[in-house]
Amino acid sequence: MRDNYEYDEKSEVAEKMKELVLARIDAQTTSNLRLFIGSHKGMTKEEIMAHVRRGDEIGKNIIRMHINFMKAVVSGEVTDVVKSI
Amino acid sequence: MKKGLIITLPKWDNVTEYLSHFSWQILSAAEENNIPYKKLEETEASKKSFEKTINKLNYSFIVFNGHGSPNSIKGHKDEVIIEAGNNGYLINDRIVYARACEAGAVLGRIFKENTSRGCFIGYEFPFVFWADKTWDSVPLKDETAKKFLEPSNMVAISLLKGHTAEEAHQNGIMHMKKNFKKEILRGTKDSFQIAEALWNNFTGQVLFGNSQAVI
Repeated sequence: MRDNYEYDEKSEVAEKMKELVLARIDAQTTSNLRLFIGSHKGMTKEEIMAHVRRGDEIGKNIIRMHINFMKAVVSGEVTDVVKSI
Repeated sequence: MKKGLIITLPKWDNVTEYLSHFSWQILSAAEENNIPYKKLEETEASKKSFEKTINKLNYSFIVFNGHGSPNSIKGHKDEVIIEAGNNGYLINDRIVYARACEAGAVLGRIFKENTSRGCFIGYEFPFVFWADKTWDSVPLKDETAKKFLEPSNMVAISLLKGHTAEEAHQNGIMHMKKNFKKEILRGTKDSFQIAEALWNNFTGQVLFGNSQAVI
């Protein structure tokens, strides 16, 4: 019972993260930009969001990138880098 | 081993077109510093040509542009050029810069800190960049892609100028950080997406092997 509860909680957090990443991409990506990652030919905003929704390898990498950056913002690492240059 | 550069320049999709076009700065730096170089362009960016060239010229510095995986780097049309456990021994004791996804994860670890004369600078995460589709056919005019590819060139350029691997590694990171700061301060709609991708690249850049190696 407890295991199921923990699993549900984890998947709920993962879903929330995905929603957050999708919202950031939607709000911050201009239509002229394409993202090159891995061996992909270059993705528009809509294609990036489709990968994140599917949760495939590219989508997971994009989510990882966003989460790492958000963690760095919260921990103050981003501020430190900006101040150090 | 002779002082010199072998550089792969595959051009068969948008990623490799961009990486190869932006490599002109590396070739200019080689000329300015009188370092002989051999370009393996397009179909020449193959396993057969690479092996033939490295055995014949025995140059000390290798720059790979292309797609990668944790244990390999690919060339033209995704042909595997170098692979850990296969022909990875060919790059032992040389200085390698791999502008290819994730190749640092396994391939880079061929270079052990205290037992190798050479070193490997690459990326543990996928190397990513944003580009402006307006400039698809003329990549060098793409100011967005330039923010990613010019600072990554600095790793190779620093080595060609005679800096150590550690200095070149740090120099590349510093130039990426400068562009990162500019983006954060620019504050336009896409600034955070660009800054975030730069963050990914400089936090994922790794150096394995002899950090004091010079070409």
